[in-house]
Parts: sequence; C-alpha cells; structure tokens
Amino acid sequence: MAKFITIGERIHCISPVIKEAMATRNPEPILKRAKEQIAAGATYIDVNIGPAESDGEDLMKWAVQLIQSECNNIPLALDTANQKAIEAGISVYNRTNGKPIVNSADAGDRISNINLAADNDAIVIALLSKDGIPKDNDERMLYCQEMLEMWMMLGQDPTDIWFDPLFLVIKGMQDKQLDVLAAIKDISDMGLNTTGGLSNVSNGMPKHIRPIVDSNMLAMAMMCGFTSAIVNPCDTRLMETVKSCDIIKNNFLYADSFLEM
Amino acid sequence: MPFKSSPQKFNAAINTVEIGSGDKKIVLGGECVYPLYAFDAPIENKPVVGIEITDLGVETFADCIKEYYAGATTLGEIAAKAAAAEGASFVTLTFEGADPIGENKSVEECVAAAKEVADAIDLPLVICGCGNNEKDVELFNAVSGALEGKNILVMSAKEDTYKTVAASAGLAYGHKVGAESAVDINLAKQLNVLIGQVGVNAANIVMNVGTAAAGYGFEYVVSAMDRIEAAALSQNDNMLQMPIITPVGSQAWGVKESLVSEADMPAWGPQEDRGVNMEVCTAAACLASGSNAVILRHPKSVATVAAFIDALM
Repeated sequence: MAKFITIGERIHCISPVIKEAMATRNPEPILKRAKEQIAAGATYIDVNIGPAESDGEDLMKWAVQLIQSECNNIPLALDTANQKAIEAGISVYNRTNGKPIVNSADAGDRISNINLAADNDAIVIALLSKDGIPKDNDERMLYCQEMLEMWMMLGQDPTDIWFDPLFLVIKGMQDKQLDVLAAIKDISDMGLNTTGGLSNVSNGMPKHIRPIVDSNMLAMAMMCGFTSAIVNPCDTRLMETVKSCDIIKNNFLYADSFLEM
Repeated sequence: MPFKSSPQKFNAAINTVEIGSGDKKIVLGGECVYPLYAFDAPIENKPVVGIEITDLGVETFADCIKEYYAGATTLGEIAAKAAAAEGASFVTLTFEGADPIGENKSVEECVAAAKEVADAIDLPLVICGCGNNEKDVELFNAVSGALEGKNILVMSAKEDTYKTVAASAGLAYGHKVGAESAVDINLAKQLNVLIGQVGVNAANIVMNVGTAAAGYGFEYVVSAMDRIEAAALSQNDNMLQMPIITPVGSQAWGVKESLVSEADMPAWGPQEDRGVNMEVCTAAACLASGSNAVILRHPKSVATVAAFIDALM
C-alpha cells in the first residue's frame, strides 16, 4: 500500500492573513504557510481562494504559479466554488509531482466538477452528499455509486476519484461517528480512495483537546482503509499518528528515525 | 485472447552512483524495474563484477585462486593482474592484514598498500576494512585522504562507525560511502538516514545489506533484499534507493563446500570446482535479488558471472 496522503489546509481565505495576501497579491504570507506545511510533511497543499467570483481566474493562476515555482512543483488541490478559476489554475499547473486535485464535487449542485476534473485529467474529491449531511450510509453509498459510475463513463481511473464521507462534529453528532468509519470501510473494500476534512470532528472543542481527538479519529479511519485527509500538517501529534499508522499498516518501511522522515 | 504484456515499470528509480573516474569508471543503479527485469524497461547500467585482493596479496586465499596470480610478487603486480581478469570492472582491496588480532599492520603500511594498488590499476577501487571498528575508522580516514580525487568506495560505515567514516571518506575527501548492515532492513534504512544526516548526499551512498553463502541462511538475504527493492521502487522510499554492493567471495570461500580439500573428501570432487560453483551460485542469486555489484575472488567466477550478466541484457 502507498503512504497516507496529507493535504495541507492552511492556505485558506478564511484566515485574515491569507485573505489579505490574496487580495493584495502579496506572496510572502502564502509562501510561508506553503513552506511550513511542506516541511511538516504535507503531500499536497490545498489552495482555498473562497468563492472568488470577481477575479478568481487571475487569483488562482497567480497562486498556483507562485506556490509551485517556489516549492519544487508541490502538487496542489484547487479549492473554490468558481469552476472557471479551477480551470484557469489547471492551465498553468505543473504535473511533475502529481496531478491537480479538484476540490470538490458532490452529488448535488457541484456534480459538474466531475466533468471538469475528467476534462482536465485531474483527481477529484467527491463529497458523499447532495444537499446537506447524508442521513445514513445507504445515502452515502448511493452517491458513491452515482458519482463513480459517472466518473467511469467519462473513461477515468477509479482511483482518481477520492470519496469524502463527510466527517461530522462530535459535539452534536456523537452517535454518527461510527457510521462515517463504516462508510470509509465500505468504500475502501471496493478498492477506492477516500479523503475528508478531518478536523470537523473536533470542532468546538477546547484547543488543547482537538489534536488528541483528531489523531485518534484519524488512526481509526486509517484502520478502516482511509487513504488521505485534509489536515493541518503542522499539528505534530496528528502527523506522528499518520506516520505511526503508516508503519503499522506496512505502508512504509520502519527505521528508528521514521518520525523525522 | 492475445497475450498483452504490461511492463512493471515504476515511477521511482535506484540512485545512480559513480565510482572511479575516466573511461573505466563504473555507474551503479539507475534502474526503475525489479532486478534484471530488463524486459520491463531498459536497464542502462547493468550490474558489475569486482575482483578482490587483500593487502597481504592473495596469501590467505585458496590455492586455486593463487595459481592465477603466479609470477606476481609485489602488491602492485597482484593488483594489475586482478584488474586484467576477464569480466572485472573494479578491484576491491581488503585490509585483512590490519586486524589487531592478526598481523596488525600499521595505518601507514595500509596507506602505502592502498597507494601501490591505486597506482597499479586504472579500474575503480573499493576499500574494505579488517572488521575491527576502531582500526577501520583510522585506516579509512588515512586511506581516504591519501587517495583523494580517486573517487573510491569506502566500505564500510556501520552503526557504530558511520559518523566518522561518513565525515572523513564522504565529506572531507569526497569519496563514496558504503553503508553496511547485516540482513536487517530496518537498520539498512536507518543507516542511510543517519549517514544523510551527517551531510553525505544520498547519491554518494552505496549499501552493503549483508549476505551469506548460498545454502547458509540465504533465504533471509533474499527476503531482506526483496523488501528493500519493493520499498525503493513500489513505495518510492528514497531512503532505500541506494544501489547495493555485495561482497560474495569472502562468504562463498568461507564454507566447507569451498574449504575442504579433495584429499579429505574425495567424493565431493575437485575443490576448485566447488568453490567456484559456490561463488557463482551465490553471486547470481544476489544479482537476481537486487545487487548492483558483486565482489568475487576466483577469476573464473568473475568471468562466469560477468558473462551471465551480459547474456541477460
């Protein structure tokens, strides 16, 4: 098995610093966060430019070229609701170290992002939802089948559509956590890849507790076959968990220094 | 249904490491396929065979090996003869005589021997120690300095000695460093990490992951090498993408099949045939498991294994 893939989530327009840097095209804060995440072990970097309705195309092109040229063509996940911006980003994307990821499609309004990814030879993250949170795993699996079929009809490799089961917040939906893990198991058993925004599980918890809960959820998800996650790679405890689980799953050969690698 | 060949070619490759210089330099590694799988993708740098002598000449070797060196008296003459052996791409000088329990030759004598050998040959040179860590560290340092610019491979940097060996041979004098472990995949990887942390570039490291003579626990060697190749290629583990060199001769000529004389065991037939067979079998098995270079003693084994490689690719 391949090593677990981490997609660094820290370039996000919800952060005031990043929002400001994107608006003023200031490279420094963006590169700083990209480099920190790469040093911490991120495989992919997510570039969230928000809805970016007015200048999305220009902004995404600028961000893709900036990060890739300064960071040895690190592969990127292009994260926006603006389809034209994603296409613009892909048009200047360097594939040396991996395909771009379209973040994201779902079974509802955003289903056409599956076509967009197929047209551009990209990986696509497919959220297992239509409108709101799926009520159970039957619903999740229905969307999974629907989107997988569509992807395959477009002639794409089934391992290039990464299914996001939608992690749910524990404070409020504690009784649904095992469902999410069961969905990951079912999808993995079909030989498919999975991903998701892990930190949602600990939303609203005290700051010092979140890494503990996130790491344990991740370990349990990896046991179910989870293949990647959108995370904060600067969370040391989380990254140590990823690396340890990769060792236990025989995804990576053990050496005493494995945590430093 | 017609047969459809699907090449097992990886998006990862073994590092290329050059030893020696000029026309005769050797290049180890570079392949992106499993060992000898030239049908999956071209293997640009085919495996090479080296011939071993010691600082005591070939004094301690079997009589059948000595015969080849008849007439050569000085170490330089012996080295030149070794280098002329058919199929030999490099020469290995083992400092057997430096062992404190044996002849305990001084570091100065070792340096003189290394220079004499280096001057007598134009093939790349690989240096092996006596096995005593303290002495080896000292002599590797002195020999590396004396042969600066020759781009030799210094074997070996072990768990207890890697810091000094990597710093002197690898960093101070710009030679290649051999990371030695004994059939332990986790240590093999860890040593590469540690030598890298000393500052030696991954492209300057060659691994000796250990071996045994065929029939003497060799299945452990195969499984270790298989796991290393799988990690390097299918998992793209860059801490295991160093090419592998395997000293086969010392193992193959140390077991009863090669040591017992025909007089003592007439039913076994000529000792020379047995020793060469042992050496050739072990070397072929190592190459099939991932060695990029093997070190042999008998010139007949050297020629046979080199011909075997040529015939395969």
